[in-house]
Amino acid sequence: MITKQIIEKIEGEAEVFFEEQNNKVSFATISFGHMRDFSKILQEKPALDALVLTPRICGICGHSHLYATVKALENAYKNAGVNVELSEKSFQIRETTLMLEIIQNHIKWIYLTAIPKIETLLKKHSQTKLKGLYSSTLINKIIALLSGQYPHNSYMLPGGITSDFTYIDITKAIGFLDELSIFLEKEFFGVDLENFLSFQSCKDFNTIKSEVASFENSLIDLQMQTKGFGYDRFLTLGDHSFTKQAKIKKTLLQKADIKYLSTSPAYSPHQTTFAYNALYKDEFIEVGPLARAMSNNIPLIKNIHRRYKDSTYARSIARIYEIAFLIQKIRKTILHVDVTQPSFIELPNIKKISAKGVGVVEAPRGSLIHTVSIEKGIIKEYEIITPTQFNLASGTKEKPSIAQNAMKGLNKEEAVFAFRTFDVCSVCTTH
Amino acid sequence: MPSKLKLLWLQGITCNGNAHSFLNHPRLASLLKHFELLYHPLLPSSYSLEKIVTDFPAADILIFEGAYSSEFTRADVKLQTIITNLQQKSSYIIAAGTCAAYGGIMQLSDPKSSGIIYTKQKELLNLIDKEKLISIPGCPIHPEWLGYVLEMIIHNKKIPLDNELRPSELFAPLTHHGCDRNEYFEWKVDAKQFGEKEGCLYYEQGCRGVMTHSSCNKILWNEVSSKTKAGTPCFGCTESDFPRSNMFHTKTNMSIPEDVPLGVGKKTYLTIAGIAKTFHIKRLEGKLIDYKTDNRKD
Amino acid sequence: MAKISKEQKKETIIQTSLQLFSKNGFYNTTIPDIAKKVGMSVGNFYNYFKSKEILAKELILYISEYLGKNIESINQEKGSTKEKIGKIVSMYFGMAQEHPEMIEYFLRIYLSNREVFGEECQGMVCVSSFVTELMLFFEEGVKCGDLRDQDFFSAFGLFMGYLGGMVFLYGEKILPDELESYQASITENIYNALKA
Repeated sequence: MITKQIIEKIEGEAEVFFEEQNNKVSFATISFGHMRDFSKILQEKPALDALVLTPRICGICGHSHLYATVKALENAYKNAGVNVELSEKSFQIRETTLMLEIIQNHIKWIYLTAIPKIETLLKKHSQTKLKGLYSSTLINKIIALLSGQYPHNSYMLPGGITSDFTYIDITKAIGFLDELSIFLEKEFFGVDLENFLSFQSCKDFNTIKSEVASFENSLIDLQMQTKGFGYDRFLTLGDHSFTKQAKIKKTLLQKADIKYLSTSPAYSPHQTTFAYNALYKDEFIEVGPLARAMSNNIPLIKNIHRRYKDSTYARSIARIYEIAFLIQKIRKTILHVDVTQPSFIELPNIKKISAKGVGVVEAPRGSLIHTVSIEKGIIKEYEIITPTQFNLASGTKEKPSIAQNAMKGLNKEEAVFAFRTFDVCSVCTTH
Repeated sequence: MPSKLKLLWLQGITCNGNAHSFLNHPRLASLLKHFELLYHPLLPSSYSLEKIVTDFPAADILIFEGAYSSEFTRADVKLQTIITNLQQKSSYIIAAGTCAAYGGIMQLSDPKSSGIIYTKQKELLNLIDKEKLISIPGCPIHPEWLGYVLEMIIHNKKIPLDNELRPSELFAPLTHHGCDRNEYFEWKVDAKQFGEKEGCLYYEQGCRGVMTHSSCNKILWNEVSSKTKAGTPCFGCTESDFPRSNMFHTKTNMSIPEDVPLGVGKKTYLTIAGIAKTFHIKRLEGKLIDYKTDNRKD
Repeated sequence: MAKISKEQKKETIIQTSLQLFSKNGFYNTTIPDIAKKVGMSVGNFYNYFKSKEILAKELILYISEYLGKNIESINQEKGSTKEKIGKIVSMYFGMAQEHPEMIEYFLRIYLSNREVFGEECQGMVCVSSFVTELMLFFEEGVKCGDLRDQDFFSAFGLFMGYLGGMVFLYGEKILPDELESYQASITENIYNALKA
């Protein structure tokens, strides 16, 4: 018997069609029923307009789209034979605002999805703590200091950034970051960040009392360390200070190349889906915080992975860990910014450019790839592959995707929870 | 404590940007205490989406985000059905964001779509009782602008609206009011390129600040900044013609800007601009801050 | 005898000044010369124009407005851009023949003797009405697709430099034929240079 479940509050909705045997999910397909077709919207548009349009693919990860767009355009310049020079400052700030978006995303996931849903699963009274949103609001403030506003800024342009801030803004940003750290240490982690980052194993969670410890405990209560497995292979295509570009099979790091990417229509026999599956070397592969942690050889995550592989538990802890990890990376980066460097180094008018370009970025949920084809500054083709297309692909019974595999063998409620721990972005999946 | 107002946040064709933007309201927790959320796309709510489209509960305030198309569905029910059933029970219906007001960017995905109030050409849709409508354009909506409207409703104050059903107090000013590059605009000192704090972005970089209704430089974004304060030109995102074309570039005809400041005649503008450009004011032509000279050395 | 208004008196001073400057030269003409010709005392003259420098500036403003108004009315007429170019050329040449003192003042005194104006006429301040009307004319031409979009001053220099040059040659009595006989070919040249 097949039952349809609408999963909502995932930046839109998705429909999952469950097949069950003995009250356990034997197979599930995923359908995303809405599409806006940004590829079509962007066709014949002047290239720079993409910097205004692509952030509107999504309200929680739009900034990653902006970064991918500008990288794709700069790559097109490069392929057209133009030397693109970025000042260290503009590079540092772009990386900083990207990392900030990732953190605010994870915090929203924890407070709006993970904690309330796990409490429901445990039949506990679920009460969303809006204090969590105090911290995501604070993070968005820091992004705005450097880029004008959040969501939906367009402060990145080929050649650099538009903002020419002073040390007033930099010191304010650091001040807000300190406030954020203090808040999270007190309310969320229950221990200071450096301490948390040096946890060696999941046993260390027993030494703290906090939201995180509570959540970790709940995961164990529900035995999530034995549930929700993918194929134990990961991909991080973005090249940043906080992740290595790699394909990871179990724990082995290999070189990764975008040329091995492909897409195919998602399998959804019960309802039309507009989603396309993303594959690497024709295989389903996981992207996101767990993949990034695996590429970075984080002791805590390695330890968890040794025991619990790519379970729902590992996936969730990796996302939480990334919050602390990135805060420290951001602090280091901002402290080294030299405001006297130029924000923008002008490139020739884009009307002179006819070339293809690719931009790859690690977005909150994983690798994001933009491919653009411009002719005399006008977009002829624009293709996007989003991280949710990797994780929440929908394949056949013979070849299920990461999420489909994760849901197998769980009861329906747990399966939905496992689904949510991939941190789904519905609007991005079909874009 | 007076009973809570029931609030229902419904989405059309959207990116969720308005919902996320609202989460940044500086007093979100205390503001939400006044409401019972019947439905919200991110925050926990009394109803699930499926129940909303079957029960059509009565909400005092219906907030709509995204572009509208009668055929677009939520939980397999057409928007037209949902809105028809919900609107009669609501006293206030708020179009949150430019897509909901005029169609905005999401309208590009479906030529038959529009805002819930207006089409891109500013024709009234007549989908909803005009008496109930309040339009708050912006891409995304500014959280404090929505907060203002909600607070006015909570305290039973009549909101003055302009001829596009926008709160006049928010949309009478222009983006230009409060821009920290004003002096450069006054003396017609144009920005030579992006990425510098000096120079006005109107003449070459496409800034629509002098033609756009907004409070962006009066009620700052995230309480700290704005597009123009970060050197990004205003794209005119609160207006019905957003998104325009070539948004980082000012359209000129023989060096004359195609669009001049709102309400200012072209001849007037050219006369003043021509004269101002004649004068070269040294202070405004150099860098604002000198980082090189160490004034502590003799 | 009907009372002559202040405005009319002012107009007379302007016309007379231009005639005298044209005939005898700017530096050779004094305020008393002008006052005498107009038929008023020097003291009264200073009620209208406080100094020769201020008179010099008012004259250029006057000419600029005159030219500006003519271009404005041509702008507002129906017709193609080419036809309008033809009309502007005719107007300018007509002015050179019927009011040579005005064009001469513009070319020989304003453009060639800037020291006359001192601080008063920096940049385009004093010719603003004329330049603004030309800007609007060019803008309209580009908007309707007749003219090529380019930098304003490139087009302005071509147009006014050409006309000024022709009138200068006419003034030097170098042109074999009457000015208006050149109108058609000059219009053709300007249009070909600026068209889209």
